[in-house]
Amino acid sequence: MATNTANFFSSKSLRALYVIWYREILLYWRNKIKVFTSIFLPVLIAVAFGTGLGSILEFRHLPYNFSQFLYPGILGLSISVMSITSTLSIVWDREYGFLREILVAPVSRSVIAWGKILGASTVALIEGILLLFTAPYFNLVLSPLQIGEIFLVIIIFTLGVAGLGVFLTSFVSRTESFSLLLQLFIAPMSFLSGGFFPLNSLPLWLQNLARFNPLAYGIDALRWTILSGNLSASQISTFTLHSLPSCIIALLIFDFIIILLAFRAFKK
Amino acid sequence: MTQKTNNNILEVIQVENLRKHYNGTYNGIMALKGISFSVKRGEIFGLLGPNGAGKTTTINILTTLTPPTSGVAYVNGYNINTKPDKVRASIGLVFQETTLDTHLTAEENLYLHALLYGVNKKDFITRKREVLKLCELWERRKSPVSQFSGGMKRRLEIARALIHFPKILFLDEPTVGLDPQTRNKIWDYIFTTKKQKGTTIFLTTQYLNEAEVCDRIAIIDYGKIIALDTPENLKKMIGGDIITLRTTDNEKAFAQIKEKLPQCKIKRIGKEIQIEVATGEEFLPSLIKTITPKILSLELHHPTLEDVFLELTGRKIRENNTPDTEDIFSFNLKSFLALFKNNNHKNTNGH
Repeated sequence: MATNTANFFSSKSLRALYVIWYREILLYWRNKIKVFTSIFLPVLIAVAFGTGLGSILEFRHLPYNFSQFLYPGILGLSISVMSITSTLSIVWDREYGFLREILVAPVSRSVIAWGKILGASTVALIEGILLLFTAPYFNLVLSPLQIGEIFLVIIIFTLGVAGLGVFLTSFVSRTESFSLLLQLFIAPMSFLSGGFFPLNSLPLWLQNLARFNPLAYGIDALRWTILSGNLSASQISTFTLHSLPSCIIALLIFDFIIILLAFRAFKK
Repeated sequence: MTQKTNNNILEVIQVENLRKHYNGTYNGIMALKGISFSVKRGEIFGLLGPNGAGKTTTINILTTLTPPTSGVAYVNGYNINTKPDKVRASIGLVFQETTLDTHLTAEENLYLHALLYGVNKKDFITRKREVLKLCELWERRKSPVSQFSGGMKRRLEIARALIHFPKILFLDEPTVGLDPQTRNKIWDYIFTTKKQKGTTIFLTTQYLNEAEVCDRIAIIDYGKIIALDTPENLKKMIGGDIITLRTTDNEKAFAQIKEKLPQCKIKRIGKEIQIEVATGEEFLPSLIKTITPKILSLELHHPTLEDVFLELTGRKIRENNTPDTEDIFSFNLKSFLALFKNNNHKNTNGH
């Protein structure tokens, strides 16, 4: 008798995984407005907001260019919002019925959760790649090795965020609860992520709070990898809270725990 | 492993003493109170009952979406409790609500479904053509489903459910909310499928005229099966024709008929008197002669399943129901209105 774990790696499960993953990409790519805004908004923030705020901050004589500081933060926030909203489509699917079509198929639930997480992560990676094309505008130098590192960081980072999304959607039965979810989780996590301002200049109690924020680790990791061509390690460490290795370790631990929790919640 | 014999089993669905109890939010409702029946290979089996009788619960259990509280069922020879994956691989399912991905095209919906059920590419291409032609959607295969009408969506859903050559097709109220013309078309597809592929069809309905065309029907009410037979045999239960009578003084007429025409069965339903008699046409003249109160209305009809239901439960099947005309689009309006209500009650339909 085949056990559940053996089933998981069967060709049937891989096919199902592919279906759910493929659909996620198809939905993103089909929605050209979503693709456009997913690029347009971050660029707008980085350019307009970054230049505007940077001009005020010139008086502070920062040892770095503010736009360059902001760029990895905005990229990190955009891809995490992208991966979390992709998984929130589970709620939409549930309300409009498509989830039942998947649930009734001869496929195990964990495959469905995996498909959603991998799909969301891939969509986020596509957005990340598209956003990286704007790097030259910010005078950022990216070597091929760096680009490889950035991709890895994006994948490790968004897997966990997508896992968080799947976990949260298991507690939400209607699309109206979306906004509640966004306000309760995404907004505080974004503001305490270090995307807009360096976390290490915050009061200690807020810094300590940020240590529990997975987004803070993801964005710091992106800063280390994206800016390493332009700034020295000591310069980067002036505006990051965590070192690159500790970011990677924290993200991996977070991925592991949250994906396990997501599976358990999704199986209900 | 004796699963090779599955193609030859006669009773493609076997249900034994199935119970389902919902706790909590439904205040502990016993949705199914121990039902047993079996469905033969290749037949159209209808589950007929009013809203909330347990039809959807039965389908959900048989398709492994909901576990039963107790009891067991075999679908295509597989136990629903221990072999849910095998069960799901042998069935096609069309839900009451649409489960299509409206962002994608008709073809993409079928493709994802075929992948999910492991249909290989070559089979898919021929099968896709076959089912889309059957449901008359071949020309629209590249259109996004969001542009489809309610009837087209339902047709596409039936097409999709057939893509993986299911042994049994489950249809939960396949024609609810559709106009009569589309309804007839859907029935044409159901018959064609049955004829061409020998697919067993299990459907639920609250439309009596639809139940008439099934090979066998089970009547379910309050979570219990109260009758199971062919429509003809069920109608024979009534024992003849039915005369419905309304007079100025029902009490008096009732007493007169009872006294002078003992060969008929008589009962009062609301403001009407109902008489069951072997041959109605010959009975009418003597009836009219017998009663003295003025006759307000008089109707003779041959028994229908409505009468069977009335006979068994003392109620009409759809007396408290929303009218037939409720269409698919009212669903959107409802969910729109729900936005303004603060209570986040869940969708309770079908229990």
